[in-house]
Amino acid sequence: MRDATFAAGTVSAGPITLDLDPGERTALHCASEKEAAIAALLASAIVKASSGCVLIGDYDPRVQSVHCKRIAALVPHEPFPLDEGEFARYIAYRAALWNVSPQRAHAHAALLRKRLSGMHEAFAYPLIGALIGMPELIVLDRPQPAYAAQILDAIAGRAVFSTHSDAAAARAFAGGAAEILWTKRA
Amino acid sequence: MARVPLAVLRARLFAQRRIVFYSCAAALVAGLAEPPGYAAPLFLCCLLGIAMALAQSPGLQPHLDSCEQSAPLFGRELARAKALVPCVAAALAALVYAVAQLMQGAPGVPLAVLVVLAAVIAATLTALSATIRHGATRGLYVSLAAAASVAAYVLVARAHSLAGELALCAVVAFFALRQYGEALARYDPI
Repeated sequence: MRDATFAAGTVSAGPITLDLDPGERTALHCASEKEAAIAALLASAIVKASSGCVLIGDYDPRVQSVHCKRIAALVPHEPFPLDEGEFARYIAYRAALWNVSPQRAHAHAALLRKRLSGMHEAFAYPLIGALIGMPELIVLDRPQPAYAAQILDAIAGRAVFSTHSDAAAARAFAGGAAEILWTKRA
Repeated sequence: MARVPLAVLRARLFAQRRIVFYSCAAALVAGLAEPPGYAAPLFLCCLLGIAMALAQSPGLQPHLDSCEQSAPLFGRELARAKALVPCVAAALAALVYAVAQLMQGAPGVPLAVLVVLAAVIAATLTALSATIRHGATRGLYVSLAAAASVAAYVLVARAHSLAGELALCAVVAFFALRQYGEALARYDPI
């Protein structure tokens, strides 16, 4: 991201400047929850920057959002209202949207569910769903710091960009290996 | 190729199974109570189709919205998949109405089904564009959907032109789906 900003009505975020190479981890501490949510949506090509530049891989979300979405997967902040009985249906749904073989998706999901066994399903399912498409970049929108170790273990080896509105949560996801960036309120 | 539309259809119909059930129940009661003719099934099923289309508005099923917005799909692919949901639900209601009419021994039910389905699909697809808009523009698309169903009724019941009604509905449905796909490709969820 180079001076990436988003503005729509009274909602705004940025400017954000950061570089993230494959396998690297960056935690972005934002001035507000709204700004953290927008930064995550910008990084996962769901919203387009109003000014500045965002490149995911070699692709610009303004013109190649489908390519960007193959590379980056968003794990939303909101817990999913799904129970154990709906897990298989959810995985089949995600597998169809990401064009992944259902057998492979279910096997991968079962493995990840074991690795995230201590995590509440409302937070574990979106993360498992995001990993089904084998993304190179995981974007975590205000993840729960209580699950930081499990989340980082499950997504090890991939580039990780997390947004936070709380300094302690940013530190939990930055650990020692990652950089914390700060945005300032304009 | 049909995997994405079927997955979206299954997920959204499951999430909205209650509203689909109530729509079909309303169609059954109306079908048993109303006299045969085009007015009751056409306007009732168009109303149910518009309501089902509005039920696809972002924010009502946040976890499905989140998955669909982050999925690597072109706007037109997602539009086709999402459009299938209210069309199937409204078509189910129209078929339940037709079954109720058949149970009453009403004549001309197959033709009525054809007429109603054409109007329902046109009205539902037009109303879908309202789901990603707010304020007056949202009201405008709902009004356009209602106008499409009125025009279909006038053509078939007053002008006695079945071909005219089918042609109008086909043209309206084509442009409505195209418009929805383009709007969805440019849509920002914030």
